[in-house]
Amino acid sequence: MTETVTLPKPAIEARPPGVLTRLRYLEPSNLLWLLLVLILLFLVAVPIGKLLVVSFEQQGTGAFTLSNYATAYGRVRYLEALGNSLILGTSSALLAAVFAVPMAWAVSRTDMPGKGLTWAAVMGAFIMPPYLGAVGWILLAGPNSGFINQAWRWVTGAEGALVNVYSFPGLALVIALHSFPLIFIFVKSALDLISSEMEDAANILGAGTMTATRRVTLPLVWPAILGGTIVVFLETIALFGTPAIIGIPARINVVTTQLWQFFEYPVRVEVAAAYAMPLLLITVGIILAQKLLLARKGYVSQTGKGGERRIIRLGVWRWPVFAYCAIVGSMAVVMPVAVLLQSSFAKAWGRGLLAPGNFTFDNYTYLLFRHEMALSSIWNTLWYSATAATAAVLIAVLVAYIVTRKLVPFGSALGFLAMAPFVIPGIVMAIGFYAAYAAPPLALYGTALIIILAFTARFLPIAFANASAAVRSVHPEMEEASRILGGGRLMTVARITAPLIRRSLLGGWLIVFIVASRELSSAVFLVGPRTRTMAVLLYDLSEAGNFEVLSAFGGLLLAITLILVGIGMKLAGRDFMLRRN
Amino acid sequence: MTGVGRRGLLAAAAIIGATPRAGAAELPPHEQELYGAARREGEMTWYAGQLSAEPCEAVGKAFTERYPGVKVNVVRSTSQVAFQRLAQDMRAGIAQCDVLSSTDYSHSSFLKREGRLLAYRPKNADGLLEFVRKAGDPEDHFHVFYIGVHLLARRNDRVSEADAPKSWKALTEARWRDQLAVGHPGYSGAIGAWAVLLRKLYGWDYFKALEKNRPQIGRSSIDPVTTLNAGERSIGVAIPSASTLLSMSRGNPLSLIYPEDGTVVVPSPSCIQKNAPHPNAAKLFMEFATGPEYFRVTRAFFNESLRADVPPPEGSRPLEQVKVIMPTPEEIEKGVPEVKEQWRDTFGI
Amino acid sequence: MPRLTLKGLGKAYGKLKVVDDVDLTLEEGEFVSLLGPSGCGKTTTLRMIAGFVEPTSGSITLNGQVLSAPGAVLPPEKRGMSMIFQSYAIWPNMTVAENVGFGLTLKKLPKEEVRAKVKRILEVVQMAHLADRYPAELSGGQQQRVALARAIVVQPAVLLLDEPLSNLDANLREEMRFEIRRLHDEFRFTTVYVTHDQAEAMATADRIAVMQGGRIEQVDAPHVIYTRPRTRFVAGFIGRTNLIEGRFANGEVGLDGFALRSDQIPGSMPASSQPILLSLRPQGMALHRGRPATGRDGVPLLAATVAQRTYLGESWDYIVHPEASGLKLRVTAPPLQVHEVGESVWLEIDPQQIAVVN
Repeated sequence: MTETVTLPKPAIEARPPGVLTRLRYLEPSNLLWLLLVLILLFLVAVPIGKLLVVSFEQQGTGAFTLSNYATAYGRVRYLEALGNSLILGTSSALLAAVFAVPMAWAVSRTDMPGKGLTWAAVMGAFIMPPYLGAVGWILLAGPNSGFINQAWRWVTGAEGALVNVYSFPGLALVIALHSFPLIFIFVKSALDLISSEMEDAANILGAGTMTATRRVTLPLVWPAILGGTIVVFLETIALFGTPAIIGIPARINVVTTQLWQFFEYPVRVEVAAAYAMPLLLITVGIILAQKLLLARKGYVSQTGKGGERRIIRLGVWRWPVFAYCAIVGSMAVVMPVAVLLQSSFAKAWGRGLLAPGNFTFDNYTYLLFRHEMALSSIWNTLWYSATAATAAVLIAVLVAYIVTRKLVPFGSALGFLAMAPFVIPGIVMAIGFYAAYAAPPLALYGTALIIILAFTARFLPIAFANASAAVRSVHPEMEEASRILGGGRLMTVARITAPLIRRSLLGGWLIVFIVASRELSSAVFLVGPRTRTMAVLLYDLSEAGNFEVLSAFGGLLLAITLILVGIGMKLAGRDFMLRRN
Repeated sequence: MTGVGRRGLLAAAAIIGATPRAGAAELPPHEQELYGAARREGEMTWYAGQLSAEPCEAVGKAFTERYPGVKVNVVRSTSQVAFQRLAQDMRAGIAQCDVLSSTDYSHSSFLKREGRLLAYRPKNADGLLEFVRKAGDPEDHFHVFYIGVHLLARRNDRVSEADAPKSWKALTEARWRDQLAVGHPGYSGAIGAWAVLLRKLYGWDYFKALEKNRPQIGRSSIDPVTTLNAGERSIGVAIPSASTLLSMSRGNPLSLIYPEDGTVVVPSPSCIQKNAPHPNAAKLFMEFATGPEYFRVTRAFFNESLRADVPPPEGSRPLEQVKVIMPTPEEIEKGVPEVKEQWRDTFGI
Repeated sequence: MPRLTLKGLGKAYGKLKVVDDVDLTLEEGEFVSLLGPSGCGKTTTLRMIAGFVEPTSGSITLNGQVLSAPGAVLPPEKRGMSMIFQSYAIWPNMTVAENVGFGLTLKKLPKEEVRAKVKRILEVVQMAHLADRYPAELSGGQQQRVALARAIVVQPAVLLLDEPLSNLDANLREEMRFEIRRLHDEFRFTTVYVTHDQAEAMATADRIAVMQGGRIEQVDAPHVIYTRPRTRFVAGFIGRTNLIEGRFANGEVGLDGFALRSDQIPGSMPASSQPILLSLRPQGMALHRGRPATGRDGVPLLAATVAQRTYLGESWDYIVHPEASGLKLRVTAPPLQVHEVGESVWLEIDPQQIAVVN
């Protein structure tokens, strides 16, 4: 008789749910998740996987072989290039840190004058395409013709050169001058977060400003310094333009220029893939090492109510510190841009603009009206970058939403995939794209699509970091308040969430757009004759050796970038590029 | 909408908008016939490793002016890079290039052997100088409408005529240390041909001796002209006469030196790809480039005229009056890959 | 011998006077609390003592040596003081032991000595077992103890505390209050303690300086501050009180509806007849259901009505309305003494607990 008192079953279990019923409980986010997984696999996993596979394939037959590795590491010259890349990456990264850390400290913590100028210089160095800076520095520091050396000889009467851009230190310096803003951004945001009380606590115990800075402030931002330096190192070893423009006359072969040689006839993607592996391993290794290094210590300073943020008074040191920032700023931006502009208006740049009859607009009119590819490359650049930025931000915001709101199990796998390109050097990614999608069945080589896809994948982490910060800033209760009133999820996202994060997404879009518009390292392997971008055309022009036209094209590139940044500042706030996510 | 698509539309709009041109009516019949077919294709792509950037663009413009509605995508780069792009295309199984012009003979002969070239004999080629006609393929897979004349140049203000090196051999003298500038055989077909010829003359040790003088290495063969203009170096090695003369005309203080051991002449072939996406436009381009109009355009940029009906450029010595050395296609095809590797081992780059 | 002296100390930002003419002297080993609402200038005063803020007027001297005066400020690191911050400012990149030993290593003490001192002080604050932890691995209270240890291990000439307990939850706050007092009893550092919490100040300080609008209103021992507030602000800020306006004339203080004999009220009366302000603590009055036998001489007894009541657990809070008076007085009664609203009661006032305020 006991059976009669069993509890009534829940209504849902009472009858087996039909398909329709089940669909009612299925959130559309599950389908979206599946779609995103496929997209991310296509953009990230397949190219890198293909790269790995190809490195073990025999050309033509596809049979398994180790000979690619034997070829790739079988010559002293190839190994030297690898070594050169490591030394170059290390020196540039350290040099960039030397430039960036004092500047970040001065801007964030002290009463140094001219902070606005310093800020502008960092911004300028950040948006200046590195290969353009390299051209500028050739004009400045060519051992015989460079303006610096000419001035040096004129002042001192010396025979020799003061500086020589065609040298290892020259190459490292030019790279550092255009990568230090990354460290600056990291370190400055970290410094901004440290409460003055951290320093006050050291001061009151007997530490002077310098001791407190050395023993408390700098150790606190050490992760930011380390992180920034590592990013510069990784960017440097994957950089193509500057080593090609300066390294060849300086006779310095590095991994990227060597990779380019493997793409000479006959194209040896297999060997290139094998040769690219160290870049990938080094990157992954360093990121892991960094995680281990910073594992235990807490670096986020405990933020209490905190007192007012106290500015360190530099006293008489205000001006020397400013001078330091001014020197770095002028080396990174003012001087190269000045010589580029002067030579872009010159018939013969070495004679100086004031030389009689040397001034001309011809370099610009040639590019704008007589050059077949200049305008189309500008157009290509704009729409590839815009499309890639749109795709990246769209994917990023969907992934970020799913991951942040924990809508599906294993959502974090999506986040991992979206961030993965961060540890893949751009040039490696480009070779992966070439290996995976250039040939049939997809046959994307030479199409705009392959470039757009590569740009999308390459800059996805930037968009993702930006989007997750934006989504996290919207408290879930804002959405819950809408849903409890009957708004569906999609309607809620459209009406509540999207307007709240629109501005920061726009900022992210512009950053991706700008970095994509100047990207050379990956584009140079993927462009076809009709899909050349400004960066690639500029590189081609640099091969033709006409510095005046080259400078004029650089001037156009800079003008376009400046316009974009101007629009960005207007729409997304003054600091949209230097905000750290 | 793609960039090309948009450009195509613009071009179409230009044709529709333009008044019927007299030029088209004046074309000789064989060109007129090709023009009709080419116009339907609308464009062609020229991988140009010859000429410098500006004359390349001028040629593209002149072509479209003569044949309205047919646009030339000029992809100007060094010869090796042009061929590298073509090789990448082939590897990917994509047809993008119609005509390849390179300063490296072996590119064309390789492509011919691989059966990747379209045989076509431009009627206008009959008007080319005889030695040029002979440098082309007897089976019409490639033709020569450009020769590189590679020699030495000096900065007048740094090196007097009396002091100047008179030969390739003289460049290994210690007094030219840090004075020389040269291109790279890995990037420039002409430099490859030059290196092959000098290796034949003096052996590879010549380059080892040259390396001791630390020449500044550029990429294209034109790079040293820029280096000279800038005053970075004072002697340009294996520089093309055309670019140098153009530079001189702009007021740069340079002088040509015809080396006693032989001015290097590099006949540079151009070929139509069998898988050319615009075969008729490509053929029309070959007609154009072997005809007088092409040489009138390039002559203004100090390139050699290869037709009797167009005079040689201002300031150049007639080639009959100097000692000329010219590589055979076989020498180049076999030699250039070798010297590229040797070069990289010797110069480290 | 006076140790720390603030004389006419002031800080102005433009026209805004944040600290205005502050005079304060701390004896050797004395614990003084600066108490006041936010914005009263107490933290600025503390940061001037520490040397982080330069005064615009007045001076700070320690043992006769001028530490701060306009245009001449000895930097914080040269003052031999230590400070505990609102955010604790524990350096997250150093272990507990490294944090605590930092000040000692700056003094270039031998490593062994540093280790021994750190060990001893960590035992005092009961943190010895966590010496090798990083701050991120500690609770708020533990971090607070680290901050305490770091500040006292250097044996500062003056110990400064800036609202050190404001980030702790209520229970912990009470515990740390006694801890701070215990440490002070043990080490007897001259201490300045800034807080807005009167209970904290009462529990810890030898003397309390009540600040308002950049000025010190009154400096006295905690019980004096409570029982003898000298100003209307102090009376209102410290505890709860009834402020009543009266008029002094002919040895009597006339209030609304009744009068008190002035000789029963402690403190000095004005020389001539004039209006005065009295502070009557709710604890200074008692309620009776029936009229009590008049015990003490002249203690006023007033018939009153209960107008409002609130039960606070530890006590009842009644608002009563004396007959023939417009006053409403707040009176505290024990939990078991229950009166209904509207009930008639007798109100007994203890004149000894009345203070005359300015």
